[in-house]
Amino acid sequence: MSHQLPAILFLLPLFAAISMPVVCLKHHHWSRPISVVILAAMVPFSILNLYNVIRHGEVRYAFSGWSAPLGIEWVADGLASVILLLLSALGLLGVLFAGPTSPKALGGRIVHYYTLIMLLVSALTGIVFAGDLFNLFVFLEVAAISSYALVGIAGGRAIFAAFRYLILGTIGASLYLLGVSYLYAVTGTLNMADIAGKLPMLLDSKALIGGLLFIFIGLGIKMALVPFHAWLPEAYTYAPEPISAILAPLITKVVLLAWVRIIYWVLNATIVIYDIPILLLVAALGALASVIGASLALAQRDIKMMFAYGGIAHIGIILIGFGQGNPTGFAGGVFYLLNDAVMQASLFYIAGIAFCQYGVKTIDELGRIGKQVPWLTGSLIVVGLGMIGLPPTGGFFGKWYIILGALEADDYVSVAAVILSTLLTLAYFVKLFECMFRQSSTRSDDQFEEIPFSLKLTMGVTSAAVVILGIFSAPIVQLLLNQALPPGL
Amino acid sequence: MVDALFAVFHRPNFLTFVIIFLWGFYIMVTRYNLVKKLIGMYLVQTSVIFFLVSISAKKGATVPVLLSTTDPVQVASYANPLPHVLTLTAIVVGVATLGVGLALCGAIYRQYGSLDEQDILEKLE
Repeated sequence: MSHQLPAILFLLPLFAAISMPVVCLKHHHWSRPISVVILAAMVPFSILNLYNVIRHGEVRYAFSGWSAPLGIEWVADGLASVILLLLSALGLLGVLFAGPTSPKALGGRIVHYYTLIMLLVSALTGIVFAGDLFNLFVFLEVAAISSYALVGIAGGRAIFAAFRYLILGTIGASLYLLGVSYLYAVTGTLNMADIAGKLPMLLDSKALIGGLLFIFIGLGIKMALVPFHAWLPEAYTYAPEPISAILAPLITKVVLLAWVRIIYWVLNATIVIYDIPILLLVAALGALASVIGASLALAQRDIKMMFAYGGIAHIGIILIGFGQGNPTGFAGGVFYLLNDAVMQASLFYIAGIAFCQYGVKTIDELGRIGKQVPWLTGSLIVVGLGMIGLPPTGGFFGKWYIILGALEADDYVSVAAVILSTLLTLAYFVKLFECMFRQSSTRSDDQFEEIPFSLKLTMGVTSAAVVILGIFSAPIVQLLLNQALPPGL
Repeated sequence: MVDALFAVFHRPNFLTFVIIFLWGFYIMVTRYNLVKKLIGMYLVQTSVIFFLVSISAKKGATVPVLLSTTDPVQVASYANPLPHVLTLTAIVVGVATLGVGLALCGAIYRQYGSLDEQDILEKLE
């Protein structure tokens, strides 16, 4: 059975998504238990998948028995399995978080919400496993369409943000498809491993360069790389809380994984096209994103907007790690990606609780709840330490390995960018905490209701995970170095 | 330079693709009406599909169904079915995106009473 795990992991949420509108037609309240059960079942399956990959090496799953260049192939290697574990765990926490917050935030559209979340999770699973460029396009679009619908689900200002997201996302998807058709015209195949075998003979081809450029711009729009990030802050800020808490940690990171897969698995990492090493380009884009994202975050007063820009900056830091072209930088990038997903989830849970329970939207209002809600304040401090990158947390070790990798590659611009981005992150968290603990705005006669248990659970688990990832950073990075490295690195 | 210009006219399908793509892009960027933006978006998607179909066209080829199992297969006389299958999938994806976009347009119109981007932005302020 173990070689069927990739298909099982994909089909569980897909069947749930298809059957949910029918099953829950009369019984709206069934949708949440069904989603929780499905996602809770995905966690042990993905652990089993990771164990299986570590023990027996990567699994290549050929659909309906048609093997690689002709049929559609899925690749469950170390990197995909690690990201899949993260995806299922954060999906489960997101659905748990949605329980108490969704009735207020979503109006009556509970069944729609859970259906789309299931569809999103199955599409993201597909992106993680896809070993075929066109298959990747289809899953990117299924994930994108469900996230457009999710952002706009509750109306209000979010609908307009969702429309802009749709327009920009579709330009990205069209450019990606155009790039794929260029590559198909040049190589005559869509399978990633097959293309990788044929590319070295074709490096002078202008069609190849054009195709790669279109693919990179298309995926860059989807993962909110800095010049193309315009859709992200509004979409995540105005989307209802249970939705931004699931979209923010997952979408951009999984698309980034697809980008890394194309750069390292389809192209060779050390490739030089017209005297420009591709990895240098990746590191430069990452440096730009990490500094610009963090400076824009410093200018925000809306809590969710600030965290959304923080996420954009962290995409840049992860890219710096991937752009160094050595094992240390690559493992550091993957490790920071795990940390960043957990931290983003935690930050958006905190922002969601602050808004849903206490009506706090901007950092000026945070002072109102500062000392009255120890759970929220405590988690925010822990995650803040992680975002800044102070030693006991995972954020520190991620940045540490990325900087080590950059030093190994003599790339001092990247080192400077990581440090500058860290200082800017420190600045906006100081601003946040300054507003939170300002004495004058605290009134003791305010009544504060208790946070529901499942919200405390999700917030506590993610904050604890920030520290636990830091404590166990050495074995995790070792595991990534052994299992998740691309060929030829 | 002149040679390059003439070379373009030997491949009218590429020229058509570029014109449709840029036309759709131009509509998306310049028009304020949201439905017009969606029309531009659909033109962009269609142009990419057109490109995929046009590069897979083959003169004198027939449908990829083997007529006889005994004769050796003449690869040149059959069209490659893969790009057409990809095109079908891409059309389905495009229609789904357009559907979601029109639904969002409807919701925006019900909420703001207008489909003009500038009107909506004024109401948002």
